[in-house]
Amino acid sequence: MGLIFKIAWRNIFRHKGKSFVIGTILFLGALFMTLGNGVISGMDRGLTKNIIEGFTGHIVIISDKQETDNVLFTLMGKPIEAIGNFIEIKKVLNKEDYIDKYLPVGRNLAMLLNEEGGSPGNGFLLGVDFAKYRAMFPDNIKPVEGTIPEKNEKGVILPSFARKEFYGYTNIWFVPTGGKLIEENFKKETKEKEEPVGIKVKDSMVVMGFNDKNTTMDVRVNVRAVVRYNTLNTIFGHFALIDIESYREAFGYFSAESKASEISEDKKKLLDMGNENLDMLFSENTLMTENKSNGKADVKFTPAVKQEKSEVVDVDTGAYNLVFIKLKKGISIDDALLKMNKDLKSANLGVRAVSWKKAFGLIGSMSTVIKGALFLFVMLLFVVAVIIIVNTLSMAAIERTPEIGMMRAVGARKSFISNMFLAETGMLSFVFGGAGVIVGIITVNLLPLFKITSENDMVQLLFGGDMFYPVLSMSDIMLSFLQLAIVTFAAVIYPIKVAKSITPLDAIVRD
Amino acid sequence: MIEIKGLKKNYMLGETTVLALRGIDFNVSEGEFISVVGPSGSGKTTLLNIIGCVDFATEGEVKIGGVNLSGLNDKEITDLRLNKIGFIFQTFNLIPVLNVIENVEFPLLLMKKFTAAEVRKRAEKLIEEVGLKEFIAHRPAELSGGQRQRVAIARALVTNPDIVLADEPTANLDSVTGASILELMKEMNQIEKTTFVFSTHDANVLKYAQKVIKIKDGKIVDGE
Repeated sequence: MGLIFKIAWRNIFRHKGKSFVIGTILFLGALFMTLGNGVISGMDRGLTKNIIEGFTGHIVIISDKQETDNVLFTLMGKPIEAIGNFIEIKKVLNKEDYIDKYLPVGRNLAMLLNEEGGSPGNGFLLGVDFAKYRAMFPDNIKPVEGTIPEKNEKGVILPSFARKEFYGYTNIWFVPTGGKLIEENFKKETKEKEEPVGIKVKDSMVVMGFNDKNTTMDVRVNVRAVVRYNTLNTIFGHFALIDIESYREAFGYFSAESKASEISEDKKKLLDMGNENLDMLFSENTLMTENKSNGKADVKFTPAVKQEKSEVVDVDTGAYNLVFIKLKKGISIDDALLKMNKDLKSANLGVRAVSWKKAFGLIGSMSTVIKGALFLFVMLLFVVAVIIIVNTLSMAAIERTPEIGMMRAVGARKSFISNMFLAETGMLSFVFGGAGVIVGIITVNLLPLFKITSENDMVQLLFGGDMFYPVLSMSDIMLSFLQLAIVTFAAVIYPIKVAKSITPLDAIVRD
Repeated sequence: MIEIKGLKKNYMLGETTVLALRGIDFNVSEGEFISVVGPSGSGKTTLLNIIGCVDFATEGEVKIGGVNLSGLNDKEITDLRLNKIGFIFQTFNLIPVLNVIENVEFPLLLMKKFTAAEVRKRAEKLIEEVGLKEFIAHRPAELSGGQRQRVAIARALVTNPDIVLADEPTANLDSVTGASILELMKEMNQIEKTTFVFSTHDANVLKYAQKVIKIKDGKIVDGE
């Protein structure tokens, strides 16, 4: 082998031009492959981290009636099936020791009515208990204006992106209750340079649920805060957070308050009576009974409420659409899904657990598409690099016919010639390709320092967050070297075949 | 050492069949110094190529050391070239990236039979015999044509082959250098007892040959 490496090493220097061309291609190929791997890895890690930690958790529980697993970015805002038995689901979840936290939420598309008579807007609503939401996702939003509501408080938290979208639909600029238009924020968010003249400023909104299953209501809610999602604001910003009870009213779901005001046993008896017993209504016993209810009406049919604080009720008794679940560290999503679905099924709760990727539907798919596109791009680089190297090496092999023919004539086997070519390309690959990988690693580590950001949805998906943050794990670096080895090997197969086919007679004829 | 019977070789040149060898018969004994002479296109190179397992006969039989070449596969032929035959070509003789001693060592290293010290010792001995001791570390590009042929002779002999084949080894050399190369080959033939078969179209070199085979139009016209 020493002889082969000696000849190969010296041949590299003898054919400096060709070596430089091949080396440069290998360098650039390795560099772009490493950068591509870094971008893919960064996007994957960023999306996973940002979505899991800031929006859905690892797993989402949805109703069995739900046709598709995609429940977050549904096309045309298709309604999400309700989950009415969260209390029962909670009992199962509390027994699963691999779960860290969970949060039931309402999620559907709502219409934002325009009280000025213009076109209405629309947007996704996430109905939550604010305190529980903050406990589940403590750092995912920060207020731009107003303050985030406390426990049991009512109202809506409007992401700055949604505010801009609503403004686009309705020419209404929402501000927190009692607040006023802040020009700086207006210009920053809308990118408008002119003074905001003739804009309607409102601190409450009327929302109405879209629901094809039951009656929906228009509900007035106060804007409590305008926030920014810390990452992926453009994507997560489609979702306004609303207190769960107002959400239920808007979508005609039974609320916890309505549960709390269930009809007493005595009233049920009255309703169960037949017409023939109506006379009994006028008996003294039934006419003068103690009112045991809390005196509230069924909010499903209650017009818009303006109260800031809901009654102290267990909100979990009402309807939800989804349950977000965060797993403990180190737990595999697949393993957890398997166990959870088994337990949910055996408890016969009519729900199923899906991964965040499936729940995120379009966005999850888009990330896969982008990942696939980047992978194809890297593969294209592979192919181009291989073609150029194959050509250059094949030419080199033909040009070296006298040398190869002479080697064969004095007793070198075909395997010697193969190994010589492999060694030459291998050395070039090791030196130039290795340099490409190293420069790629350095570049990937330097890129975050430039703080490249974007507010474009697609670019944010590519970034895996607001900022371009490619990363390379040890396995990514190993993958780059593996790809480089594959390129080298693929590039040398044909030239080796050419070189092996050279006979001493070819050398004589050529001479 | 070499037995040739009814050797024929045809080439296709476009649609024309060229009869390069039209039935050659001769034998070479061990330690002989034989010259194959004839004008250009007479078939000398083709004959040497077939004896050296570089080309193949269309018809007839060639035996080297009793081994019939027609039944050998590529590996066996390569090994035969490595172990039994030494080659000296007209021009493309040396590996450009190796220096003199490395070029001479090359076939010995391919054999994988000797230690590095044995390889070095044998190569140095032959380089000394061909008078290139001072040029041991020179690359082929730094040598004259005659010096390169000397290196080729040393390399051809380093494996101690049964036969050394030289196809017009003096064709590209001036007469003085050519004569010195032939003298060296003759000397090596006597020192190493190696059989030499070389081709030439130069009548002046005939005086060095122990036996001359004259070829014309693919046939032996005289063998003395």
